[in-house]
Formats: sequence, structure tokens, C-alpha cells
Amino acid sequence: MNPSFESFLVLIISLEISIKPSLVTNLLIIIFALIYLIIRKIKIKSLLTLIFVPFIAAFTIFATLFWFSPKPDLYYALNLSTRVYVYTLTISCVTIDTDETKLARSLEQNIHLPSKFAYGVLAALNIVPRMREAVQQIRTAGMMRGVYLSFWSPVLYFKAILVALNSAENLAQGMESHGYVEGKERSVIIPIPVKKSDWIISAVILIIVNISLFMFK
Amino acid sequence: MVKKMTEIISKNLNFSYDNKTKILDNLNLTIPSGKFSLLIGPTGCGKSTFLKLLAGLYPKYAGKASGKIDLGNLKKAMMFQNAGEQFTMETPRQEIIFALENLQVNKNEYEKRLHKAVAFTKIDKLLDQKIVTLSGGEQQKVALAVLVAMNVDIFLLDEPFASCDPEARKFLIKKLANLRDQGKTIILSDHVLSDYEEVCDDLFKFTGKKIVQLTENEKNNLLQANNKKANYTFSIPNENNASVFTLQNTEIKQNRLLLKQSKLKIYKGKTTLITGPNGVGKTSLFKALTKMIPYSGSLTYKNKEIGKLKARKYLLQVAQIFQNATDQFLNITVKDEINLSKKNRKNKFFSDDKINEALAYLDLANHLDQVVYSLSGGQKKKLQILLMLISDQEVLLIDEPLSGLDHNSTKKVTHLMRESQKQRKQTFLIISHELEGLAEWCDYRLVFNHQKLEYVNK
Repeated sequence: MNPSFESFLVLIISLEISIKPSLVTNLLIIIFALIYLIIRKIKIKSLLTLIFVPFIAAFTIFATLFWFSPKPDLYYALNLSTRVYVYTLTISCVTIDTDETKLARSLEQNIHLPSKFAYGVLAALNIVPRMREAVQQIRTAGMMRGVYLSFWSPVLYFKAILVALNSAENLAQGMESHGYVEGKERSVIIPIPVKKSDWIISAVILIIVNISLFMFK
Repeated sequence: MVKKMTEIISKNLNFSYDNKTKILDNLNLTIPSGKFSLLIGPTGCGKSTFLKLLAGLYPKYAGKASGKIDLGNLKKAMMFQNAGEQFTMETPRQEIIFALENLQVNKNEYEKRLHKAVAFTKIDKLLDQKIVTLSGGEQQKVALAVLVAMNVDIFLLDEPFASCDPEARKFLIKKLANLRDQGKTIILSDHVLSDYEEVCDDLFKFTGKKIVQLTENEKNNLLQANNKKANYTFSIPNENNASVFTLQNTEIKQNRLLLKQSKLKIYKGKTTLITGPNGVGKTSLFKALTKMIPYSGSLTYKNKEIGKLKARKYLLQVAQIFQNATDQFLNITVKDEINLSKKNRKNKFFSDDKINEALAYLDLANHLDQVVYSLSGGQKKKLQILLMLISDQEVLLIDEPLSGLDHNSTKKVTHLMRESQKQRKQTFLIISHELEGLAEWCDYRLVFNHQKLEYVNK
């Protein structure tokens, strides 16, 4: 499915379930999202992470509203805590299909987002592993000179920010040196098509979600 | 088709970063198009600056310029000194797509250009690997491939072979000569002058804020002098000597298997030179030795397993001089950095006087209050090496100490390293593609190839 369609679909569903509470809809979305993830051959480890990490948030919400509330409301507590899973699982459905490069291309081609944003964000994301490596390198460099930089050390973050600023400036120059000019038209070498099926699938899913939202409590 | 001869002209060109010190002073220079021009000059003279001016990146991104640069409507692109900082995308293929989309190239044309660029630079195996995981030399090849795919008229290359092994270097210089024969203009800065004799058309030299073109005779003399091949010999170590590192069934992996060594000793109080092709895993070996990446099997320091040693104590004995100088810095100014290193001194070899002397010797004495990040590439390297020599570790792992250094600086840096090693009986492990200035005094040479390290005698 087209990455932009998928992202917007997930965004709309998330907004809708935030406004109109419906436990049944939440559960249905969770079940279908899980089935979809399994069909797409998600790794067991990722699946378990997806279930257990949000559980901390979901459980906290449930506990607050059910056990520690002056007026415990089981329906309300369940509704809010299942929402956590709706958000995380639907977003995983998007990320399992799309890498960031594809999403950036889709946003540029289908939604006509200025290329500055699409590639700026992408370039920034590509700095993340470099930053992680930089932090490790800074700590090692410190230890080699008798300076121990703990994870809350200001020097560590000062250095990391310097590295980031430096990378950002080089990146701007790097993009320009590879022919990028802000606002100039670019050709499309890897097209991200919008198919009829994208419209149909999105519409069908939205209709079903809405019916469920208004039919079931 | 006869192309009208265009020239690259700079008229009354001035440039400074801070309005105080001029880097270029009223420069009038003509560089012919369709030729192979080599730009030389001491470390920190402004070679990178001049190339960035030609590339149109300066004064947009830094500094102030006056005067005129005329490229005669030729398209240009530049390859940076630190190639790794130039990429927007994750993989070489994606980067080439990004660059060609910027140039509004269509899909068919892209396929052709990709094919050509990949074959030209022989990067087919790297095409879909993540750029961050490529070695310095591999990144430089990829950066060149992007320029080839962009099919620009002027190739501006800033120290393009600094992390390339000799074979890759010869290969790429030949390829650049091919491009020149196809009508492209090559403007390239380099500190190493070997392999250019047959190829270079014009030699430009930076002298005192100006660039002058050398005469044909001067050019030939300079290039020939540098083309002499020295034969170096090394001894083969005696296995009974005391070792610092011992490898036993050691394996190092980074995406792919890099090292699989059944047995090897690295000897104490000696200088061992490590050479090998780009991407073979030299820097990764250092990373394993400094606990930055894991290994399997056994790798010991003085008979203790490195994996089990506490990093804080271990790294005070075994330190690395990184390939990228800025990675080493922890403070803001040159003075702060020197003071930090002074704190770690354990013996009197580097007395305060000796440090001041060394700073003057390395032409850094006038830069004490400067922010380390604003030093030139070569100045950073010199400072970095001095800092690590001052804080006296027993073992220093030195990664490409001479990259970005001119002939004179190379001499000075190697002199300091040698003196420090001999007098303090330190153990040095040096990765270098450049043998001149090093090979004469290294005790042993290890060749790293086909996932193995082996001592050789020449």
C-alpha cells in the first residue's frame, strides 16, 4: 500500500478513536493489526516487544482509572488502556511496510511536501546512527585521556551537539554538492505510485471503522 | 564536435573566514578546462577553501569573499575531504538516485549512469550497504562514483585518496585521467605526489595567500622526485619476545567477517606497521582492541582477556589516535586540550618546556586560543597526535597519522612519534597507507589481507 495513504489512514483512525470511545472497535483494530503483522512475517522478538513495552503504559492507565480512582469505571479504564495498543500496533503496521526513504519519497511525490522537508528529515534520521556511534566514541576518547563521561555528563552532550551541528552544516553542503537546490524541480527515478486499490482499501477500512465506532460501545 | 576552450578564471579573489586573516589575497588565476590540475601546498594553506569557493559552497556557507570566479558555464561538483559527511541517504545506490533526481535525470538515463559509475569505480559490492558501515577508503570511492554518475564537467576533489590503499589510489588516478581524456576537468588537491607524473597536466602551488602555476620543468622535477620507489625492509619478530597483545582463534565481524586469526602476537616496546587494502578491517581491529566493538575467541592484553578488563583502567594504558582528528578532542581551545593532556602525564618526558617546543615545532604555537574545530585538517591532525603523545600510554594504536599532512608536517610528526616511542619504549601499532617517513623506523610490518594478519619482511 502507498506509504502516505497508510500513514494518513492510521492518523485518521487514531484521531477518531480518541474522540469517540468504543472498546469493541479498539479490540477489533488490535486483532486485525496483529493478524496483519503476522501475515507480514513480523519477527517474534519485535512482536513480543510490541506487546510488552506498551503494556507498562496500558497497565498504568488501567490501574489509575480502575484501582486508584474514586469512581472506578471498568469500561473507561479498558477503553483508554486499549487505545495505547491501537496507536502502537497501527503505527507498526505502517513501519513494517515502509522504510523512511520510501515514506520520504511518497510524501514528496504523492502529497507534494516540499523536498526540503522530506530529505531534511531523512538526512537527519541518517545522522542518528552516526550520533550513537559518536557518543560511544566520545566516551572512549574521554577514557583514553583520563576523563570519565557518564551518560548525564554535560561534556558528553556538548560534544554530541557539536558533532550534530557540524554534521548538519556538512550535510547542507553535501546535499548542495550533490546537485540539490532548494525549490528546484526534481525528477522521479523511483516512482511511488498511487493505485486505485489504495483508495479502495483506505475507504473500506475507514467505513468499517466508522460503522463499528457508532454501532458498538 | 569542437568544443570552445573554456577556462576557469578567478579575478581579484579575496577570501577570509573572520575578516582578519586573509586566506586568499587578490588571487588572479586561470585553470584550463579539460585538463588534470593538481593543487598542492602546505597543511592549512587554504586548498579546501579554494575548492569550496570553486564549488560555490563558499561564501554561502562560511566566510566572506570578494572578486569573481568564472567557471564558463561548466557544471561542477565537489568531493569533500571527509567523504563520510557528504551523504544524505543511507546507501550508495540511494545517494546516486538522490543526486540524479536533483539533476532531473530520467529513469532510463539513471540506469545507464549508475551502471557506468559503478563499473568505473568498482563499487558493485558496496552499492546496497549502509554508508555508515563502509570504511574511509570505500566512502571515498563511493563519493567519486556519485560525481561520475552526476556527469559534471568539473570534478573538484579534496584529498580524494587520503584513506585509499596504494592499489586503489593508482586505480582511481588512472580513472580520473580517463575522465580527463573524455573532456572533463579534474582539479584535485593532494599531499602525496606519487603516481601523478604521467597524468598531471598542470601543477598549482599555494604560496602565501596566492596560487601560482609551476612551469613544466618545475612540475616534472617535483613529480619525478616523488616517484622514486623506496624499498623497505622489516625484520620478522622472534616468537619468544614479550608480547602485549595475543590473538588466539580471534574473529572480528562487522556486517561481514573481517578477521579470522588462529594465532598472532604483537610485540612489546616495538613499532608495528599494519597495511592492507581499503575496507579489509584495519580500523575495526583497533576498535576491537579498544573495546568499541565485540570479538569472539581470545584477544588478550598482557595475558588478560580484553573483553573482561574494565574500560576505564584499560584505556589509560591502551589508547588510540583516531583516523578522524576531531573525534579525539574533548575541550574547546587548543590550550584547554593541551592542559587536559598535561594532567595525565606519568613521566617527565613531555615537560612543559618540551610541550611548548613541540607546539612551536608543529607550527601550532600561534593557535593556542583558537577553537580546535576551526583549525585546518592538517593542524587538527598535528595537535591530535601531540595530545596523545603527551598523555603517555604504554600502547598507542595509531590510525592513519599522516593523512592530510604535507611533506614537511609529515617529517615533523614522524620525528616526534619516533622520539617518543624510542625513549619511552612505548608499543606503537600504526595503520598507514603512506609508508614514507614511517617505514624507515618501524620494526615490523603486518599485512592484513584475506581476513588474516601476517608478518612480512618487506
